[in-house]
Amino acid sequence: MWHKIMEVTEWFGEVAERYRLVKDFNKAAKFSFVAGVAPTLLEAKITTGDSSYKHAFSKWRGGGFRIKALSGRTLQKSELIEIGRVVLDNETLTRKMISLGWDTLEVHANQGFNGAKWALKEHANIGGFIN
Amino acid sequence: MKNILLQAKQDVVVPDVLVNTEATSMSISIWFWVALVQFLVILFLLIKLKKKQRNLKFGDISKNSLNNAKKGEVDMANLMNSISGSKDLYKKLSRVCHPDRFINTDKQNIAEDIFQEISKYKRDFNKLTELKQRAIKELNINLK
Repeated sequence: MWHKIMEVTEWFGEVAERYRLVKDFNKAAKFSFVAGVAPTLLEAKITTGDSSYKHAFSKWRGGGFRIKALSGRTLQKSELIEIGRVVLDNETLTRKMISLGWDTLEVHANQGFNGAKWALKEHANIGGFIN
Repeated sequence: MKNILLQAKQDVVVPDVLVNTEATSMSISIWFWVALVQFLVILFLLIKLKKKQRNLKFGDISKNSLNNAKKGEVDMANLMNSISGSKDLYKKLSRVCHPDRFINTDKQNIAEDIFQEISKYKRDFNKLTELKQRAIKELNINLK
């Protein structure tokens, strides 16, 4: 029984941690844009993700981590890919995202339907998650 | 006479009550079986889901390593700097610190070492900044 209670507490903690990560990302993106370091304001949000990228920790209908360019200069396709690669190259962030139930990383432009997506499970080796 | 009437009433009432209890017990038993079947179906689906999860990628990872991954602190400021500035800094450093520029000099090994590090951390702004300082110190290059 105690074990079950702990599991429920962990589940709520995990949800809070997910929202904290998104909030931290948005806060850092805002500061970076306001300071003039970043040319575009980025915003992260939780989406449904791609079901074919599912792994053992995937959250049901909440497996997508979408980074969207909101305003500023329009981003090119190569820049969207670069943003995705920077996120995937960050070991700690990739590991954390997988463990918190995200399975898809999406990067979208502010105009049209331009975007790119990656399966996080394919990039876990880079983060040394399996080791 | 009164006794006979009471007896007659009881004779009439008793079968009625018996029929009602039979009907309710019948309906209870039907709902009991429906609930039991539903419970078994749910149990079956849960077991199937659990098995499927085990077969998915990372299904064999222990809870400890999972919790360790959750606890990792992410430097968001560095991430934002990396998104906007790491590409330019990498290009600049890889051009200036390329080992071919230091062939047949005493700094060739240091340049090779720094260049390897630069390639390894090409999308980490903080590391690239550290390497820039190291290159300025050890290779005596002028980076503006």
